[in-house]
Amino acid sequence: MPLGPPSSAIHIHSQGASDPSQPAPRTPTSITIHPVALLSILDHYLRRTDSQERVIGTLLGVRNDNEIEVRSSFAVLHSETDEQVAVDMEYHRTMYELHHKVSPKEVIVGWYSTGSNLNTYSALIQNFYSQETAPHPAILVSVNAGVEEGKEAGVTAYTSSPVGVYPKPENCVFIPLPVELRFHDAERSGVDLLTGTASSPSSTSSQPVADVEIIERSLHSVDNMLDRVLAYVQGVLAGGKEGDAAIGRYLMDTLGAATEDLEKGGFNSSLQDTLTISYLANLVRSQAEVSARLALATAP
Amino acid sequence: MAKVIDIEADIPLHTVQLDALVVSKIIKHAREAPSTTAHGLLLGLDLDGTLEISNSFPLPHQHGDEAEKGSKTIARHQASMLRSLKEVQADDSVVGFYQATTLGAFFNQTLLDTQAIHQDKLRHGGIVIVHDLSQTAKGNASFRAFRLTAAFFDAYKRSNFSTASLISHRLTFSSIFEEVPLKIRTNPLLSSFLGKVAEPAAAQSTGESALEPTYSVLDLGTAGLTRNMEQIVEAVEAYRTEEGNLSYLSRQIAREKSKADAYVAKRKEENAVRVAQGLAPLPEEDVARLFKIPAEPSRLESLLLLGQIDAYAKSLEGTASTSLLKMYGARAGSGAETSD
Repeated sequence: MPLGPPSSAIHIHSQGASDPSQPAPRTPTSITIHPVALLSILDHYLRRTDSQERVIGTLLGVRNDNEIEVRSSFAVLHSETDEQVAVDMEYHRTMYELHHKVSPKEVIVGWYSTGSNLNTYSALIQNFYSQETAPHPAILVSVNAGVEEGKEAGVTAYTSSPVGVYPKPENCVFIPLPVELRFHDAERSGVDLLTGTASSPSSTSSQPVADVEIIERSLHSVDNMLDRVLAYVQGVLAGGKEGDAAIGRYLMDTLGAATEDLEKGGFNSSLQDTLTISYLANLVRSQAEVSARLALATAP
Repeated sequence: MAKVIDIEADIPLHTVQLDALVVSKIIKHAREAPSTTAHGLLLGLDLDGTLEISNSFPLPHQHGDEAEKGSKTIARHQASMLRSLKEVQADDSVVGFYQATTLGAFFNQTLLDTQAIHQDKLRHGGIVIVHDLSQTAKGNASFRAFRLTAAFFDAYKRSNFSTASLISHRLTFSSIFEEVPLKIRTNPLLSSFLGKVAEPAAAQSTGESALEPTYSVLDLGTAGLTRNMEQIVEAVEAYRTEEGNLSYLSRQIAREKSKADAYVAKRKEENAVRVAQGLAPLPEEDVARLFKIPAEPSRLESLLLLGQIDAYAKSLEGTASTSLLKMYGARAGSGAETSD
């Protein structure tokens, strides 16, 4: 699930001969971002002052082997002028401690910036964050909110490496890394809710949504998928399209799934179970209601 | 302008508007929290009857044995978080709190206490957003906004939940909270961004959308049912114990009362005899001092338990009805012969 515009960058995984007695911190090779971090970044961007070109903040997350999972982020104050760049380090520390108390597993993995241009100041800030994340390299996630003309909204991630004969903090190369959106399966419905809300004309949706509605939506989408498959299969049969054996096999596996447990006997017993449960639930509810009312009754 | 400037909070709230950021923050916190009691504070502003919740932050998890120390730490955490958020131009006025729950049963003493404190302190009384974890896992992200009803709040302030008070306030478990309509909102920037992410990348043959479709809603499994039933049984069990305690106490009250009444009657009789014999009557002593009649027990606990039972049963009912729907759907889909 790539996030952001396609790039032609080659992601090189250096598997250098490392000394096993001294495991060097590995360079991250892929980044995943939780929606919360993205949403916080966009919210921060929205709340910037007029004088701010871009906003920056700290990314918190978890490191697994070569992969960095960005779980959340918070805004950090900074100022950029022609002469200098300043980052409020004390603020950064305070916020990190506050976050650390709630989710102790998350550590500083890097920083984010909005907009897509990288400059000397980016290198300086990167240098600062590298000290924070040492011995691991810091990552930079650059979020393009899509407000600049001619540039698509998207997310790109970088790690840095020093460049030049003498390493200087303001000199570094930003190496692009693949970045993906990732969330837990249980959170999927929340993301669906948000994308559904975003695509509605008024940008709002009311809660709570009935379960039936959600099922209906899913059924509709299954229906559409079936139509698409049908059109494809008919196209192939009619000779209009060239058949792909792989697709055919996938279709066979998917649609040929056994429905034996839904045979008549199974269906009926399962139906009875469900009806009993429904009856029980209603019984319990009415008992509870009666009990609550009886407590209010007074002797005549 | 009268609509905009509302210093005294005169305009009553009619809707709660939840920002997408808060939605995702609550879901994340609720899932990652070690227990099911994840809670945090909501920040925002109200405008013309709509409470706009634009940010939130989680509060650290509290361990049972250090409650006293914990509340101080939480207060400090809260103050320093608010100060920090203010510095980056985020909203910093507390408008309520959120609470994660499972299977819809959110009635508990802590929630009530916190909300009662808020209702006193916060502008508009504050609201509580309840997020149902099990519903969300099933594919229907659920958020509901509540506040205490006036009748319940009145009874709570007097801390009187005797039978008489319940009757005079007409309190049942369903009249503890009133629900406030809730809306989810995404700001335009986010809408466009999400639209970009979710849109299928049709142009490139290899590219796919960052969000692939999911059909977990259509899962026929009934994994959660057993747990739900267990919860109901547990709640009913707890309710029975509570009722037992209540009836024991009320029997005790009745016994003490009848003793006191007998004593008073006896004393009156004696006095009547003494008056008839021309002697001075004995003083009528303070009965209350002689007999300790226990105070009438609070029925709040049993009220809350009933509320829990109802909520569990309601979610069970919901699950049952949707699974019925899915079963028939699956049968129609599998093309089974409908011979009956």
